[in-house]
Amino acid sequence: MTSFSGNGFKNLSINADTQAMLEVARKRGIETVWDRLAKQQPQCGYCNLGTSCRICAMGPCRVDPFGDGPQTGVCGADANIIVARNLARMIAAGASSHSDHGRDILETLHRVGEGKTDFYAVTDSAKLKRLAAEYGIQADGKSDQAIAKDLASEMMEDYGMRRAKLPMAARAPKARQEIWEKTGVYPRGIDRENVEMLHRTHMGVDNDWVNILLHAVRTSLSDGWGGSMLATELSDTLFGTPTPKMSQMNLGAIKADQVNIILHGHNPMLSEAIVAASQDAELLALARKLGAKGINLAGVCCTGNEVLMRKGIPMAGNHLMQELVIMTGAVEVMVVDYQCIMPAVTKTAECFHTKVISTFDKAKFPGAEHISFDPARALEIGKIIVRKAVENFAKRVPDRVFIPVEPVPMMTGFSIEAILGALGGTPQPLIDAIVKGQIRGAVGIVGCNNPKIKQDLGHTELTKRLIENDILVVVTGCATVADGKAGLLVPEAAEKAGPGLRAVCRALGIPPVLHIGSCVDNSRILVLAAALANTLGVDISALPLAGAAPEWYSEKAVAIGTYVVGSGIFTVLGIAPPIFGSPDIVKLLTEGLEGVFGATFAVEPDPNRAAVLIRRHIEKKRAGLGLSAVEPEKIGMPESELALA
Amino acid sequence: MKTVFVHPERCIGCKQCESACAIAHSQTKNLFMAVFESPRPKPRIHAEPGLTLNTAFPNKCRHCDPAPCMAVCPTACIQRAIDYPDIVLIDAHKCITCGMCAMVCPFDVITYFPLAAAPERAVVAVKCDHCIERQRKGLGPACVESCKVYALEFGEINELVKSARTRYSEAVSVAVGQVSPQVTALPANVEAWRAYGAAVTHLNANGKKGV
Repeated sequence: MTSFSGNGFKNLSINADTQAMLEVARKRGIETVWDRLAKQQPQCGYCNLGTSCRICAMGPCRVDPFGDGPQTGVCGADANIIVARNLARMIAAGASSHSDHGRDILETLHRVGEGKTDFYAVTDSAKLKRLAAEYGIQADGKSDQAIAKDLASEMMEDYGMRRAKLPMAARAPKARQEIWEKTGVYPRGIDRENVEMLHRTHMGVDNDWVNILLHAVRTSLSDGWGGSMLATELSDTLFGTPTPKMSQMNLGAIKADQVNIILHGHNPMLSEAIVAASQDAELLALARKLGAKGINLAGVCCTGNEVLMRKGIPMAGNHLMQELVIMTGAVEVMVVDYQCIMPAVTKTAECFHTKVISTFDKAKFPGAEHISFDPARALEIGKIIVRKAVENFAKRVPDRVFIPVEPVPMMTGFSIEAILGALGGTPQPLIDAIVKGQIRGAVGIVGCNNPKIKQDLGHTELTKRLIENDILVVVTGCATVADGKAGLLVPEAAEKAGPGLRAVCRALGIPPVLHIGSCVDNSRILVLAAALANTLGVDISALPLAGAAPEWYSEKAVAIGTYVVGSGIFTVLGIAPPIFGSPDIVKLLTEGLEGVFGATFAVEPDPNRAAVLIRRHIEKKRAGLGLSAVEPEKIGMPESELALA
Repeated sequence: MKTVFVHPERCIGCKQCESACAIAHSQTKNLFMAVFESPRPKPRIHAEPGLTLNTAFPNKCRHCDPAPCMAVCPTACIQRAIDYPDIVLIDAHKCITCGMCAMVCPFDVITYFPLAAAPERAVVAVKCDHCIERQRKGLGPACVESCKVYALEFGEINELVKSARTRYSEAVSVAVGQVSPQVTALPANVEAWRAYGAAVTHLNANGKKGV
């Protein structure tokens, strides 16, 4: 048997709730993501290596990685060109996903400016004014609504072709911007870079693989310093900039005695309206009449992260939990917006009373009921959906309800504004702690779940190894749920940190692992890194920082990793991207980029080894800044134990 | 004796041998038409995953001699082809679907499916026929033709063993410095990809190990 099946559920996940629900799946004969992965074995080696090309109809083509069979596609593209084109298209798809999400938020701001909404408003007026100043908009004496209209109109240009440079990229240190200009990757327009990427990777356009990959970096930067950053900033403006608060995590977020609505996807627009609708007196009364104690919301994936950060709504699980939450038998409605929603959820829902409701016209799911989301009637639609959930409570089969665990507490809400607030308004105390060596550096652990890695093992082990060694960790997306369930997102987790980080956390009353948001909120990492670099007057690549995506699966994660490296931050991937078919590209991404962007990628699935790579990198950067540093080679690398037990 | 010789270390699990096999045993002999046929043609070669990620073995009838399946078949429907005595064939019309051949097959490569050639039967025993139809036209087995990494080779067994043996002797000679290791080594990128797969597998099996 492969590692994906057999040997019990303990091999599939570190979590008790996942394992309990997999037992339910086995008993009831319900298929899960792990079963489907096992059925896909062996997965095509050409595709895994990145040397299959489906771009044109002279193909499909593949290059023999052993060197004896065909070495070029029909057009003559070799492994370098094919791998570069495939990787570039992954990055374009990922960047497009974040940026189109940002566009939806921007259109909502525009709608607020025009007064065409029953629900949305400017919540963080101060942030609106800061953004207006950044975009050169005269705000004096204007109402928030008028500023929103002008700002939205100006930001729409970020998506077009009029700009030579994206305005928010100017937040990066001067030295970083000079690197972008010198290498020709300064992002101009969000849609422009993505469309140009698709053009360049058409047969017979860009065939210089380095040139293809440079534009892929530019495309990713238009996401990190464009689409994603815009999504974060405007979601804060509309729904409130997050502040620290306590919440809960795991399947216990679903309540046996309440109407349960699962919020799944990535965009907070509809979920914010559902949060409001779930407090409607008439709907609450109806719920009580039907025997429920109340209306409970719980998040999955990044929609969950969005409402967790701003509203403290608990999260039921991360990516690999999406089918399993339905198997509790206590979910009346799963509302989905877009991204990372497996088409399988509607099949799972068929086994229970659960209704899956799709909401965005760009994301429909066979087997789901579609309620077309219209931001002009957001609250009205929110109420329609909540009503459906309440009415469906009557169809719940009590014997089938099984919620295997009690929820774990966690702390959320660490926007950059909140982090700076905790520090007293400036990054200086954080810098001082780093200079003194109390905190060696900071690492962003981000990205998805992937059933190829035991669920949450990569996230939690890496986090533990880093905080033990006095490295502050910030988390987004699925990593949040992993670390939250493991009890690492509470101030008491300072006990698990090294002495330096522990003292800082105790003094500030914060956890050693800070939840900073959803996957578009990885842009907050860029903002924090830029603020630290600007305070010190150095480039981001000089800082003792690193990124890690231990269990990534999606194209969006490839875009994130690329903009993080393109911004000067060393990044370790736990899953290999499809590039091994081109030794030249592996060498470029793992070594060559150092000389171009001052940062590289590494691939290391073992979190204990990844932690050592990161610690060595951080000590190297500390030495570069003239701070106390350990010789990187003195940090021992654990053996890679490849033999099977 | 002509056979399909497998080099499992070269198989990268693309399963093109499976689809080529199914097409070769279809009515239309065409990928895009074959997927619409009823009954759907089935592969008789099976690239199944190995113990660690990124490994696979294309398993098929080895055409044993003596063949255990022939020995136990109660209707004697499994016979050697008269014109190609190296090939063990099943006469679908005489098969009674008793399952005896599948039980004794040392390689577990006999499966039961509907067959267009035997429309009167619900399912019959199906296995590799070494593409005897193609061989009669001077072609080799479809799986071998489809394999772009030379994990499958078709030819006289002793010649194929000799060439594998030669590679082995070259590998041994590396120890005494007679040829460069590159002659026999897998490309470094493929080795790295396999090592990565093994690392993931190991990680999942022993989460805590390596601390």
